[in-house]
Amino acid sequence: MGRRNNGGGTTTTSGVRTFAFEGPDIVTVRARMDGSINLSDGTSVRTWYFGSGFNGDRQWGGPVIEVTEGNIAEITLFSGMPHTIHLHGLDVDQANDGVPSTSGYVGRPMGNFGRVDGYTSLGTSYTYTFKAPHAGTYQYHCHVDTVLHYEMSMFGTIIVRPASGSLTTIWDGGPSFDKEYVWQLGTVDPSWHTQRVSGAGTVRYNPKYFLINGVDGSNLFNDSTVAISAPAGQTVLIRLNQTSYQPAVVKMGGLSFDVVASDGRPLPQPLTKTSLYISPGERYDILLTMPASGTYYATVDYYDIKGRNVIGTAVTTITVL
Amino acid sequence: MNRRDFIKTSLGAMAFMASGLTLAPKRASAATVDITLIAEGAQKTMVDENTLYVWQFTDPNGKGPGVLPSGMVLLEGDTVNLTIQNNLDRPINFTVEGTSIQTPNINPGDSYLLTFTAPAAGSYVYCDTANGFIGKAMGLAGPMVVMPADGSSTLYQGGPAFDRQYTIFLQDYDDRLNAAIANGGTYNIDDYLPNYYTVNGLSYPDTKSDGDTLIAMNVGENVAIRLMNGGTIIYPMHFHGYHVNVISRNRTPVTDVIDKDTINVGVGECVDVILPVIQAGAYPLHTHYVPGVTANGVYVNPYGGGLIVMLAS
Ligand SMILES: [Cu+2]
Ligand SMILES: [Cu+2]
Repeated sequence: MGRRNNGGGTTTTSGVRTFAFEGPDIVTVRARMDGSINLSDGTSVRTWYFGSGFNGDRQWGGPVIEVTEGNIAEITLFSGMPHTIHLHGLDVDQANDGVPSTSGYVGRPMGNFGRVDGYTSLGTSYTYTFKAPHAGTYQYHCHVDTVLHYEMSMFGTIIVRPASGSLTTIWDGGPSFDKEYVWQLGTVDPSWHTQRVSGAGTVRYNPKYFLINGVDGSNLFNDSTVAISAPAGQTVLIRLNQTSYQPAVVKMGGLSFDVVASDGRPLPQPLTKTSLYISPGERYDILLTMPASGTYYATVDYYDIKGRNVIGTAVTTITVL
Repeated sequence: MNRRDFIKTSLGAMAFMASGLTLAPKRASAATVDITLIAEGAQKTMVDENTLYVWQFTDPNGKGPGVLPSGMVLLEGDTVNLTIQNNLDRPINFTVEGTSIQTPNINPGDSYLLTFTAPAAGSYVYCDTANGFIGKAMGLAGPMVVMPADGSSTLYQGGPAFDRQYTIFLQDYDDRLNAAIANGGTYNIDDYLPNYYTVNGLSYPDTKSDGDTLIAMNVGENVAIRLMNGGTIIYPMHFHGYHVNVISRNRTPVTDVIDKDTINVGVGECVDVILPVIQAGAYPLHTHYVPGVTANGVYVNPYGGGLIVMLAS
């Protein structure tokens, strides 16, 4: 078992970040099945998530985990119930891939729970070890009974910082930024949040709430990890991490932005866009130059899986300071 | 602590003989090809033993990858004499999406001879469009792969070369629609939300034991994978273990977002990618619309039931 930090002591929002993070490189998380979030209409739903073990965890999605390009990263998961961490996009070796059938799972066998019968238990903790590859934006998530555990919010964002240690460039030699956001997309179908295991209750998915970073509706306007504010002329980086089950279109209130990277790799050329389609599992890094003045409304339109109709929208503000 | 060491799979550490697309023998020059496809109803047994009434194009002289009842591999410039026999209870047509290759509507009991020239190298979906959304939703679709005229193992002449290639043909079913069609009932397609998903007609774990669908490869090779959406929903296909090079989308070269681990395959799209095999292991390739990895909401075996393909090297 690898070294681990103590009780979230490394979690801070510092530098140009707008979010709390864990790391760099050595991180411990616990699988938690006792979370809840309050939605803007007063509904509360149970959530499962990766907790960093201190009070004040956001209970939808795990912490942002930061690792450094070229370093050996160690992410230790503690869990009594079957869960894993799949390091989505990090192209790790099979033993650290977090798929129960090919890499085993963390936790004790629990009968039907988790649908891991016959696979290898790694014990109640496991340290996922990998060499952080290209700087960029990645995802992590549980791969046990994924259809349910993922929707319950057992996912998060991994940022691979450039080898130089720079906290204001996306990759060494790449574009720099003045302020940094992570937008993790997601939806909630409340009927799924009363299930313990996939089955008759998870045949079809009909989301009713449309989130960014675990908040919806009017709460999106006053969440400091979501609502964008910066002085005129500054460059804002938004790391878009698609953890919903719906295709989504992101717009910056009509402002154009530069798409500079996807899935942890720089694009050959930046793409200037006013709207960006992003499919489940994808990540895109976009740069927004703050206009001279005013307030704009950024939107995430969530579509049905036929890609035909918008079924819900998350709206937040872009405010020039 | 070497917990990792005992997690081995029978798929690992095994060199694979050159294989690849098994639809048809490779030719070095264009020829005249006669093909018959019968549009018909069939009872399809799903991975959870449920049975769905589906529509399909059946080739009486061959089959497609996996358990698909048809599939074409052509060479650019081939002259194709295609006979379509309609044994369904309503008019259908035969359309190659993204081309002008299309029959008029063919009435029940009739057949139609369509002669066409195989189009530019690439991956194509053929289907019925006379029944609108329902044609593909009932399964009336198949893969057409056109290889370059020079007979080379490339995605197109002068394009990227590969050591082996696989066709991943994606489809979905909503059993409520299948039941309505079987019983002569009505169904509002706005309610369509699938609960079964197939790759080459198979769902996991059957995708593992099929030679066309298990992506067997060796470290150091470049493997062409044709992600073909023959269904009615988007398929964001995520590769574990590897980034891939996105070569073309609907036969148009991709130059803007090319190095990916998750590739959206939109409705009606074919995306050709090259996977450089940089490491050994057993890894899944699956839809990140995660309900699509189940069969009727359930994992069988116990991990899976839908759109999971294994990559093994
Ligand atoms: Cu889990
Ligand atoms: Cu994933």
